[in-house]
Amino acid sequence: MALRILGSADDVQEQIERAIRTALPDAQVAVKAGGSAHYELSVVSEAFRGKSMVQQHQLVYRAITPLMAGDAPPVHAIDRLVTKAP
Amino acid sequence: MDERTRIEIDTLIASDRVVLFMKGHRRQPQCGFSATVVGILDELVPDYTTVDVLANPAIREGIKTYSSWPTIPQLYVAGEFVGGCDIVRELYGTGELHEKLGASAPERVVPEMTITDAAARFLRDAAERAGQAIHLRIDPRFQTKAYLGPAEPGEIEAEANGVTIHFDLASAPRADGIRIDYVETAHGHDLAIDNPNAPRPVQQMSVAELKQLLDSGTPFHFYDVRTPEERATARIPGTTLVDADVAAAIEKLPKDAMLVFHCHHGGRSQQAAEHFRALGFTNVHNVAGGIDAWSREIDPSVPRY
Repeated sequence: MALRILGSADDVQEQIERAIRTALPDAQVAVKAGGSAHYELSVVSEAFRGKSMVQQHQLVYRAITPLMAGDAPPVHAIDRLVTKAP
Repeated sequence: MDERTRIEIDTLIASDRVVLFMKGHRRQPQCGFSATVVGILDELVPDYTTVDVLANPAIREGIKTYSSWPTIPQLYVAGEFVGGCDIVRELYGTGELHEKLGASAPERVVPEMTITDAAARFLRDAAERAGQAIHLRIDPRFQTKAYLGPAEPGEIEAEANGVTIHFDLASAPRADGIRIDYVETAHGHDLAIDNPNAPRPVQQMSVAELKQLLDSGTPFHFYDVRTPEERATARIPGTTLVDADVAAAIEKLPKDAMLVFHCHHGGRSQQAAEHFRALGFTNVHNVAGGIDAWSREIDPSVPRY
């Protein structure tokens, strides 16, 4: 098993997944690290059904806001967010 | 976010039908994403309100919680959160933003294109290898981006030389008449796109041409961008000194109005001309050599300084 350093990209990817699953328990989450705290996310959840793209993205962003707050947050930017219902 | 910030944001959003929270000012965006949204709004609505979040840290953080949206810019229309840069660009491309803002919807224009054999080979190969569609996006300032991606609903497809290119609704009319070539550059081979719809660069006008234009009686807008002190020393009749009010008035002119700028030697007026060209004006001229050339070649009664 690879050595994991706290605050490394791996760790942040897990934090993102966990935060989204806490808000949207059925969600399938794929996180791709893009370097310097930039990430790409793909989320599939029943919660998105019947909602506009903005509303779907808001559900995800609301879940990960704590990871993006403050001066040096673990997540600086989401470069690409794809959401859809299963 | 504290209650005071929430009330402040509520008040800002209610202050106008279209409100953009951005980095920098409408005339001087401090980030590319903000600049993109400003470019789109400028095209669709004459007046809107911008809030510079860089000037107010409480609002900069608060607006993110307010909308559950982590990034700036953020657009609000009639009190409702519309989205950030990507969503605004997408809604603009499908014509939904036009509708939201009460602008007339763009027509579905299938552009005529010319694609050279070299470009066609390159594009076909790239699309086949990626298994994706070729898209061309042309923004209101005619910055053009070619990319591969899945076909999107509502896109317009145009075909030339065996290659299909996908356009969003707003890009398609801007692409009418383009010629796509594949050429060798300093950094290897690359696509070269020649677009006859792109605004012409600032045109240089000699003082002799200026004299002819003035004598012909052709209507045009003639501006002096020097200081009031310089203007007190020497001036060309028929010019208007540009101050903040005049600059705002120029912005409201039709985009095809003929604008001519002069200064002392032609440097400052070139900058002014470039500024208005970047705002979308298509018929912008700079008097080469400025008022000094005018004194030397056309009218010696205008003092040199």
